[in-house]
Amino acid sequence: MAHQETKSVDTEKIKEMLNQRKGTMKRFLSHCAHCSICAESCFLYMAHNKDPQYMPSYKVIHSLGKLYRKRGKVDRKFLMKIKGMVWRNCVLCGRCYCPIGVPIPSMITFTRNICRSQEVYPQLDETSSESWL
Amino acid sequence: MLNFVQGHLISIAFIVFILGLVYQGIQFFKLTKKKEWCVPPSSIEIKREKMTTQQRILEGLRSLNGNLWKTDPALTFITVVFHICLIATPLFLLGHNILLDQSWGVRLFSFPESLSDLLTLIVLICGVYFLGRRLFLARVRAISSVYDYIVLLIALAPFLTGFLAYHQWFDYEIVILLHILSGQLMLITIPFTKLGHMLFFFLYRFLIGSEYSFVRGSRTW
Repeated sequence: MAHQETKSVDTEKIKEMLNQRKGTMKRFLSHCAHCSICAESCFLYMAHNKDPQYMPSYKVIHSLGKLYRKRGKVDRKFLMKIKGMVWRNCVLCGRCYCPIGVPIPSMITFTRNICRSQEVYPQLDETSSESWL
Repeated sequence: MLNFVQGHLISIAFIVFILGLVYQGIQFFKLTKKKEWCVPPSSIEIKREKMTTQQRILEGLRSLNGNLWKTDPALTFITVVFHICLIATPLFLLGHNILLDQSWGVRLFSFPESLSDLLTLIVLICGVYFLGRRLFLARVRAISSVYDYIVLLIALAPFLTGFLAYHQWFDYEIVILLHILSGQLMLITIPFTKLGHMLFFFLYRFLIGSEYSFVRGSRTW
């Protein structure tokens, strides 16, 4: 846990990963109409009293969207912030519904890959404190 | 100035709009060369029993139960009306068709002017509803940025200025110039902004393996 929070971030690696799938991911992000219709299709959103941070579009825009906007130049604090969004707030059940057809789970998966490349992922001993949540 | 806006700039806007959409379409098919079957091939698919038209309608209505129609009927209705009016009004507007006839000698069917006026007003009212949603609904506000407001303005500006020009409110010369410019701005931005969902709404059907898919949603990124 402490190791995850203190290790330096390889921004070049993040940038490389972002560029690899730039063509598709940036298109997905730019076609999201920010309509919030996907909200009700997420059971976590419904189970958390309709808290906007559980909306599928919110999770993607505030994690992958920001990674692209910052061109991968992010710090550990940012990665720890999106860790909760893509690992805890989403279970990748694939039931989110986008009226336009943007494949939200694939974007979350990609963000998880980026996090994993920087050793940011939930660990088995992170149970009681849940400090990253 | 007005001559340039009415002449060359319109051609440029249409060329950017059409070539932009073609480019995006080509890029889409290039990026989705990979194929995977989401549903079984038709040979092993269980054939459904034949249904009468009435049964089909009933099943269609029943399927509405679990989707947006059930969760947010107002939004469903308004968004459908908005998009239909957004496309139909400029295409079947008498003034546009007269201009088209003068330039190319072709014209589409035209709505009566009063109907076009009403449809424009409907687009504007729907736009105000979307603006209200963005401003006052927490879940929409959470994912909104200045960009979203600008795009909404880009979509509504041609209708607002067209409405003002038709009723000859304010200085007609300036309003009609703004109308032409805002229309051109909308055309140019469609392929490159989130307004691109005009095209991608249909293209994404190639990716989705469900009842709303094209070619069984077999293409994948």
